[in-house]
Amino acid sequence: MAWISKNWAMTGIMKGLIVTLKHIFHIGNRPLVTVQYPYEKMKLAPRFRGRHSVDQDACIGCGICEVSCPNGTIRIVKYNGRWFPEFNLGMCLFCGLCVDACPMNAIKMNGGYELANYSRESLVYGPERILFKKEVNK
Amino acid sequence: MIANAYELVVYILSAIGIYDPINGFFQNYGMEYLLRIIIIVVEIVVLLVFVLLTVMFLSWLERKMFAWVQSRYGPMITGPHGLFQPIADGIKLVGKEDIIPAGADRWIFTLAPFIIFVPALLVFIPLPFGDSLIISDLRIGLLYIIAISALSPVSILLAGWASNNKYSLMGAMRAVAQDISYTIPLALAAIAVVLYVGSLSTVDIVRAQEGTWFDIIPRWFIFVQPLAFILFLIASIAEMGRIPFDFQESEQELVAGFYTEYSGMKFAMYFLGEYAHMFAVSGVIVTVFLGGWTGPVLPFIPVQITSLVYFIIKTYAVIFFAMWLRDTVPRMRIDQLLNLGWKIMIPLALLNLLVTSFLLTAGVV
Amino acid sequence: METDELLLNMGPVHPATHGVLRFKLRMDGEIIRDCEIVMGYLHRGTEKLGEMKTYLQFIPYTDRLDYLSAMPNNYAYVKAVEELADIEVPLRAEYIRVLTLELNRIINHLVFMGSLILDLGANTAIMWGFREREKALQLYEMLCGARMTFSYMRIGGVREDLPEGFIPKLNDFIKDMEKRIVDYEQLINGNEIFLLRMKNIGVINADEAINYGMTGPSLRGSGVNYDIRKLEPYSIYPDIDFKACVRKECDSYARYLVRMDEMKESLHILRQVADTMPAGDIITTQKYGIAPMTGAPSAVMTYFPRIFTPPVGEVYTRTEAPKGELGFYVVSDGTTKPYRVKIRSPSFCNLVALPKMIVGLKIPDLIAAFGTIDIVLGDVDR
Repeated sequence: MAWISKNWAMTGIMKGLIVTLKHIFHIGNRPLVTVQYPYEKMKLAPRFRGRHSVDQDACIGCGICEVSCPNGTIRIVKYNGRWFPEFNLGMCLFCGLCVDACPMNAIKMNGGYELANYSRESLVYGPERILFKKEVNK
Repeated sequence: MIANAYELVVYILSAIGIYDPINGFFQNYGMEYLLRIIIIVVEIVVLLVFVLLTVMFLSWLERKMFAWVQSRYGPMITGPHGLFQPIADGIKLVGKEDIIPAGADRWIFTLAPFIIFVPALLVFIPLPFGDSLIISDLRIGLLYIIAISALSPVSILLAGWASNNKYSLMGAMRAVAQDISYTIPLALAAIAVVLYVGSLSTVDIVRAQEGTWFDIIPRWFIFVQPLAFILFLIASIAEMGRIPFDFQESEQELVAGFYTEYSGMKFAMYFLGEYAHMFAVSGVIVTVFLGGWTGPVLPFIPVQITSLVYFIIKTYAVIFFAMWLRDTVPRMRIDQLLNLGWKIMIPLALLNLLVTSFLLTAGVV
Repeated sequence: METDELLLNMGPVHPATHGVLRFKLRMDGEIIRDCEIVMGYLHRGTEKLGEMKTYLQFIPYTDRLDYLSAMPNNYAYVKAVEELADIEVPLRAEYIRVLTLELNRIINHLVFMGSLILDLGANTAIMWGFREREKALQLYEMLCGARMTFSYMRIGGVREDLPEGFIPKLNDFIKDMEKRIVDYEQLINGNEIFLLRMKNIGVINADEAINYGMTGPSLRGSGVNYDIRKLEPYSIYPDIDFKACVRKECDSYARYLVRMDEMKESLHILRQVADTMPAGDIITTQKYGIAPMTGAPSAVMTYFPRIFTPPVGEVYTRTEAPKGELGFYVVSDGTTKPYRVKIRSPSFCNLVALPKMIVGLKIPDLIAAFGTIDIVLGDVDR
């Protein structure tokens, strides 16, 4: 086998062994980078597109978000005498088109990525779960 | 001179002064063989517990080192730095459903995982853990070790055949082909050492490595027989079935090879068997080439304890190398592996044997 | 000795098929005599969905084609629509687009490297690849709020401007990557076993590769200098200094090296783009666009009309996605929805050349050759 006569010194493997050894003992800026997820969470960027929330005062229930949603996630429902969007997150693409389309800038997508649940029904986020009241700075 | 662990126990008991009364008690009933049996059973239980604990620790170490290489933490939650993770895994595996595929040969399928444990444990019998810490110093110790560890493909072939799965069968066939081609260079490399020592007994091999040259270099056979050591090491890693030679599993090609269909406790048996085998093979490498239990003698500490510590340190060094290698290199291809075995390692081993025997006959060494 | 042929089904669920792909292999022992690729397990009807959605609404679906490199998909579709409607894109938007595209090329090649080495049996490199990918994904998260399915491109520009502190973080990433690539090369490039597995495996010469319709790094590994960024320059690529990476060996190792070179080249492009980022609008204000809403709480958000009707016509545009030529054929009938969307995906066209490469070799070679073609099943089945 010609291969072994050329490669009997295995210099490539030696080099690789040195690199992995450096990683085992974290030599030269090769730290452990993972986080212990459920106990320790990473910081999210401010623009992170997570679960929706709707500004209670700004929303006018116009239904533009319903039309602009590519996947039919949004439905306008009546809640406390007014019309608000209801999000079926099981179908949501988290694309942010509803946020862009909202003429009143009422829809926000921030935080909330731990959305796993036991039933499909519980993925439907009605107004009672997504509305928030903006604090007015005076 | 204490020859083995049984005599060591007798010596300790006599030193405390309770051996004679106990022996006398059994002699009254004409059953002194019962005492021998009890002592031997205790020895074997201690060995089993030791091996199982080591195996658990090894599986933790493997995962931890693997994680460090990959810049991960690895298991951290169960116990300090995840030290009890193997126990948690064991409990989980015991609780899993034990699936036997419909087309499988039920008896062989169930039997195969237990067969793999037998050779992995029997190898420990003539393996000296320390000065006089040996179950039985067989006169054919090394031959016994090589013969017994060549038994493990039997279990793999049974498992692969009984699973009635094409991937399992291919994995099993590969394992057998690999084992046959690597046991030969393994044995040939060991024979060079045996010629040098003039005995197959593992204790004799270790005793021959005691002392130093020029008070610095230990008289280990790695320095006398470097080529044999490299061949033995490569063949041993192939015997362990680890990357770069893990063809019996070869996850990316054959799903999981011979244990594709196994689950639950049977899977755990294979898992434990693999690590027990790894520990045994590393121990053999240390015994044959790295001086076994030998090392500087310390004052005030019994030689049995220091020798055990030396042996374990050396064994872990070999295991560390095997794990380190696993984290670095990809898997070879099966035909390349067989080429390496038959076309390179066996001729080299024969050449090494020839040169060694020539030098021995000429009286050079 | 007489032997029977063995029919081996590899997949649809198999560790090395990168998803749900099935090979029907006719084996003689371990040697592959014939290979038939069965695909379609991940078919989602994306092209049909394109006819059902408005031009803007289809952008999130393009994310799901090649989910490892969503940005080039976004871009290819948006570029097609822009050509259809003849929309001018502001210079800053083009710079941001190229920045995201090249960042995505690096991400894609990192995953390629990791999964290839994993397929060959070495488990370390994949986590190294994912470690650096995570940093790039954090950049994306800063930029557009998503880590894989960006839907960041908009017709006529991009969705949001660069956030504060983005360029310094990008420069950190570039510096870090340069060091890490040295590590990868030390681990992989010289490794004798790796070379043994990759060299002269999966050979496909230039003519065959062209006949099979291979594109991208896989084709450039066969010695064909075919880079759409050079041949048919688009966006700001004419102004940027970079070279197309070509290797002549035609084997798996050449295809791997091309991608490693491309990663360095992409870093080079990123550095130039980050240094010369111009100021200006990030979305067109030409005829369809409306300027960002004044007084809106989040002024970074741009606004493009939901209802957008390009003139009647058809267009085919091609771009150099990380995996090869990504083309979108869009037909407009003057309504708010496209009449037809056809996607020419690089993974699909590259994959069909696989049987040519591996007949006569062994299963491990199939894995190695398959890994170097670098496919994503979402892109193959659409």
